[in-house]
Amino acid sequence: MTRISATYFAKRLAVSLVVIWAILTVLFLLLKSMPGSIATQFLNPNLKPEDIRALKAQYGLNQPLHIQYLKWVKNYATLNFGYSMQSTEPVSALIARRLPRTVFLFGTAYLINLTIGTLAGIEFGWHRGSSRDKTGFAAGLTLYSIPPFWLAWLLLYVFAFGGFGLSVLPVGHMTPSFQSVFTSWEFFSSIFTHLLIPATTLALVGWVGNMLVMRTSMQEVLGEEYINTARAKGLSPTTVKYKHAARNALIPLATQAIVSIAFIVDGAVVIETVFSWPGMGRLLVNATLNRNFPVALAAFFMLGVLIVIARLLTDVAYTYLDPRIKFGENQ
Amino acid sequence: MSEETNTRDSFFERHKQRHRGTYRSLRRNWNQFTNHRLGVIGLVILVVIVLVAVLAPYIAPHPLHWQAPQTGKDCSSLDCVASSTSFPQGPRFGDPYFAPLGTNWRGNGVLTELIYGSRVALYIGFAAGVLSSLVGVPLGLISGFYGDSWIDEAIQRTVDIMYGLPFLPLVIVLVAINGITTTNIIIAIAVKSWLNNAIVIRGQTLSLKERSFIEAAQVSGASDNRIIFRHILPNVLPLAFVYLAQDAAFAILTQANLAFLGLSDFTQVSWGVMLQWVQVTGHVFDAPWWLLPPGLMITAISASFYFVGYSLEDVTNPEAQS
Repeated sequence: MTRISATYFAKRLAVSLVVIWAILTVLFLLLKSMPGSIATQFLNPNLKPEDIRALKAQYGLNQPLHIQYLKWVKNYATLNFGYSMQSTEPVSALIARRLPRTVFLFGTAYLINLTIGTLAGIEFGWHRGSSRDKTGFAAGLTLYSIPPFWLAWLLLYVFAFGGFGLSVLPVGHMTPSFQSVFTSWEFFSSIFTHLLIPATTLALVGWVGNMLVMRTSMQEVLGEEYINTARAKGLSPTTVKYKHAARNALIPLATQAIVSIAFIVDGAVVIETVFSWPGMGRLLVNATLNRNFPVALAAFFMLGVLIVIARLLTDVAYTYLDPRIKFGENQ
Repeated sequence: MSEETNTRDSFFERHKQRHRGTYRSLRRNWNQFTNHRLGVIGLVILVVIVLVAVLAPYIAPHPLHWQAPQTGKDCSSLDCVASSTSFPQGPRFGDPYFAPLGTNWRGNGVLTELIYGSRVALYIGFAAGVLSSLVGVPLGLISGFYGDSWIDEAIQRTVDIMYGLPFLPLVIVLVAINGITTTNIIIAIAVKSWLNNAIVIRGQTLSLKERSFIEAAQVSGASDNRIIFRHILPNVLPLAFVYLAQDAAFAILTQANLAFLGLSDFTQVSWGVMLQWVQVTGHVFDAPWWLLPPGLMITAISASFYFVGYSLEDVTNPEAQS
């Protein structure tokens, strides 16, 4: 890590912490602006005023607002999210079980998007104006416009429900639901087959953002003097394309890679719901629809933290790869 | 009579004289835009969808809430309810209650719903796009014009923090708390989507600020307000429209996603809600006439917004052209 200064890392870390604090504050404001109170949750006409007071005292709602706020920040900062309204399980246990599954789906899709998007962007930018570029560009924008859940249904129809005589992949979930004991081989292969359609859907929609940025950046780099120099030196087109042009065109992709993290989390929320993938996104949606707000807010918070951490990692990785990137430039 | 035409002619003549430069640059930009086949395709699709939305009552085969009655037998109302499982029904020719794209599970014509759904899609797209521009463009202008001051710093840090918030989860929570109405959905989308507009407009303003015509205006004593809104704003407007188009496409897709998740105004007929009903009634894999058209329309309208947006970007940004 010699290529990244400690102050740079410290600044990045500080920004991340501020973002997490901002998420906490936004959540607190949302919670307080919600209509109704703890008493209306129970919908019991026999509740007496003193019962309501006791309930409020039990949940700490009789304290002044700033104390509630400080308690809220302290609890969330220590990952103490309280209890779900539908089970007696603490929310943190629920989340600890589901977070790795979301990270798995999200990470796979993210890496696929980055790889395909970069390669396609290099290709289209290098052959700018060719029919390949035009077709790829139009196709990319069209894929970008497909509602992901609808695309997932079409893929499911073809590959899982045997729409055209192919019924090879599972419909949803992470592992076969009729089986509870796995050998390690069965476990990994079943996770792989279950991952295939969700990850493909996310990748089909998600690579385009990276491609667009890489394509533009590639075009700009191709106008530079050193590309002509490299060509004049008699280097092979492949060397010029990948070693001279593409490498330098990668810088704006750093920004895009960071922005697209939030985009993939959005996609993951929808895709998890389509495929009953037992992750955070589905937890958030179900909790919101059931008005189970302790779980919904905690899931929201953890997705926010996930984005912050992924942004930090991407940022540090890019700065390590390219020391020319400075603090504040790639926001 | 001849006098009247004379005055009118001279009016047009004077108008033409005065705005010759504007017309010339508009025509040049238009010619440049029509060079992009993709942009023209997008514009044509958009115009068609707008026409469909405006003329919906005249071109829809049935009124909006029309329901095909049970056919083939003379049933009492109870029987009708009991046998209504025969919906959704694909298009059946020779049926007295023929619906061109078949019916949904209630017997509403799919084509009719599709035609009326274009109104909601356009409303959401334009409202969210305009709202994000109305917030993002002024903030971007101010942030760029007062670059490196505390105002710029404050706006930029706010944007940074808001970029860290997960978009769809934020919209889900906002809509769930404030109530599921189309207006709330639009506001929730705009809360997050003004960020891109602000960032891009700021960058453009920063570079425009260094140009000599701004210096000239400053030297001749124009106020900051006048410089920002009379000199810089007209120059960033084309770029603002590019991002308005992208916001519109993104808003339509987000509304569809929200509808899929069960967070949409179900009293309104929109393409997202149609897809949600397909799912709720369990006909995803056996009613293609009902499943495919709304998804295709959402794709078409979002893609046309993106096509127009990216072609406009090429027109407004001469440096991006080879």
